[in-house]
Amino acid sequence: MALIFIRTTVIFIALLILIRLMGKSQIGEMQPFEFVITLLIAELACIPMADTSIPILYGIIAIVTIFILHQIVQLLNMWFKPVKTVICGKPSVVINKNGIDEFQLKKNNLDVSDLIESMRSAGYFNLDDVYYGLFEANGSFSALEKPEKASYSLSLTLIDGGKPNAQNLERCGFDKERLSSFLKEQNARLKDVVVMTVNGEGRVYFQKRGEKYKILNVEVNGQW
Amino acid sequence: MVKAISYTLAAIALCIGLFIFSEIYIKTQFNEFESALDTLYSKIEDRTATREDGTAVRTLWNDKKSKLQVLLPHNDISYVDYWISEACGLLYNGEYELALGKIEVLKEITKNLPDAYGISLENIF
Repeated sequence: MALIFIRTTVIFIALLILIRLMGKSQIGEMQPFEFVITLLIAELACIPMADTSIPILYGIIAIVTIFILHQIVQLLNMWFKPVKTVICGKPSVVINKNGIDEFQLKKNNLDVSDLIESMRSAGYFNLDDVYYGLFEANGSFSALEKPEKASYSLSLTLIDGGKPNAQNLERCGFDKERLSSFLKEQNARLKDVVVMTVNGEGRVYFQKRGEKYKILNVEVNGQW
Repeated sequence: MVKAISYTLAAIALCIGLFIFSEIYIKTQFNEFESALDTLYSKIEDRTATREDGTAVRTLWNDKKSKLQVLLPHNDISYVDYWISEACGLLYNGEYELALGKIEVLKEITKNLPDAYGISLENIF
């Protein structure tokens, strides 16, 4: 019996560490320890139910252990702030006044397309619709929005983390040569571009690695 | 807050109580069964063991089994069942030498089984 308790605790801690290491991309609006509990509890309840050779008490002990660990984590979170940071993590500011913070994104195992997707889910369709954007400890996206939206046209991602999106480039009338000359104007190589988006009005959000973002204007086909 | 702490403490106390009880209970049950096996072993060695002796050990085990099944995986219990049936079968046929070997195995299982569920590093990992 005590063995089940210890084994459940070991698995809980191992999973919690793993989920924390995976970053915010994996948890989706749950605290890491809540996510671990969700993962474990279904299995723990299921195994003794399906396998009649295992005493049901083993399942009950494991579930009670999860309850105890949950309560302990909750209490530690309430009483000791540093423990909360270790167990639950802390919010990451991924968009600041300089634009996208690539380091914070990588730290959370996210990329620019994940950020843009999260922004869209939160109702922001342009990167410069917000002053600050952050991923909360539970993986949800929050933002300090600008009083007025930059534009009401959907942005297309042309370059994401140094990689061009051929389909979007074609859609807005950017061929290889035009893109090269645009990058030359900006004194940037393709691999140095953190992000480049353009909306239907030709408003470009351009950010070079290690530099503040720029808002530029180009002519686009206007097909979206 | 007080409610949460008291529930947690109650759960911890319940678990600790259960751990201690199960540890002691399993050990006691297997110790009793092991001494019955020792007696049977001595009788088989002296060739004085009868059918009734075999049946008595079997009945003792069946009694303990029904309670141990709450605390131990049923596969381990059926393992003991298998060896006890083998030993009794040989005893009923008067094959004392072969029955001794089976009892020997059974004694070893009885000795090791409670340890397989004790707290030790090798059991945890």
